[in-house]
Amino acid sequence: MLRLSDFEKAKCLMNCEVARLLEHKSEQYKQMSNDSNNHTSQVFEKSLQYVKRFRRFSNQDAVKQLALLGNLCPETLDEAISVIPTLKTKGRLTMDSIEKLVNDLSMIKKFE
Amino acid sequence: MFFHIVLERNMQLHPRYFGRNLRDNLVSKLMKDVEGTCSGRHGFVVAVTGIENVGKGLIRDGTGFVTFPVKYQCVVFRPFKGEILEAVVTMVNKMGFFAEAGPVQIFVSNHLIPDDMEFQSGDMPNYTTSDGSVKIQKDSEVRLKIIGTRVDATEIFCIGTIKDDFLGVINDPATI
Repeated sequence: MLRLSDFEKAKCLMNCEVARLLEHKSEQYKQMSNDSNNHTSQVFEKSLQYVKRFRRFSNQDAVKQLALLGNLCPETLDEAISVIPTLKTKGRLTMDSIEKLVNDLSMIKKFE
Repeated sequence: MFFHIVLERNMQLHPRYFGRNLRDNLVSKLMKDVEGTCSGRHGFVVAVTGIENVGKGLIRDGTGFVTFPVKYQCVVFRPFKGEILEAVVTMVNKMGFFAEAGPVQIFVSNHLIPDDMEFQSGDMPNYTTSDGSVKIQKDSEVRLKIIGTRVDATEIFCIGTIKDDFLGVINDPATI
């Protein structure tokens, strides 16, 4: 079992979310690169490479859809499609898999 | 695992930085000081994402420096005992193999590699199953479980295992 102590109130991040954050930061650093002091640390570079390699969702839309599903926790398939319309239009998931996802989420909520 | 947390730090600023750009100077000094560092408690600070609050400055006695307590949000990477994560193999030898997950180094001893995998030395040393179906070599991607962590001054080092269910080489579905 993971004992998170300090981190109990911390927000866990998915690799794809971290990838987006670090890529944005990387852009900022590049823009400020007139000042030679601003090079990224090895920790930053290694982390960026890692999350880019191991993120399961490169598509920004998929990341947003996932985050929304997690935050809103729709109870039924219909609710999910109405609050996140792009699930139907841009989503690569079938109706069955969305339904399963929604059911699993409510299971997790019940037994929290 | 990556976390988004709020940390606090007392920043000391020399009077030459006071003026219109005080806050900007404070923020850049914070980022320079803190990004890339590591502590046992929070893990590696990968990037500062925002400043939550800058407290009132306190002038130090005897010098002109001023200390500001700064609360900031950042992305940290902290490995935990028992955590399962994915890593890239960096070196293989007969004692086991080394892998990297972001800024963290993990060592998997040959005692914690399944018994049906044997070490093969050569140009590309690797661990292979007897039928040759699974191979672990440099640049392979593996899923491992952290069973211990050790914190140094500047880095965190972990020991891992791939002997449990669903651990080991990750098969990329694209290549099947």
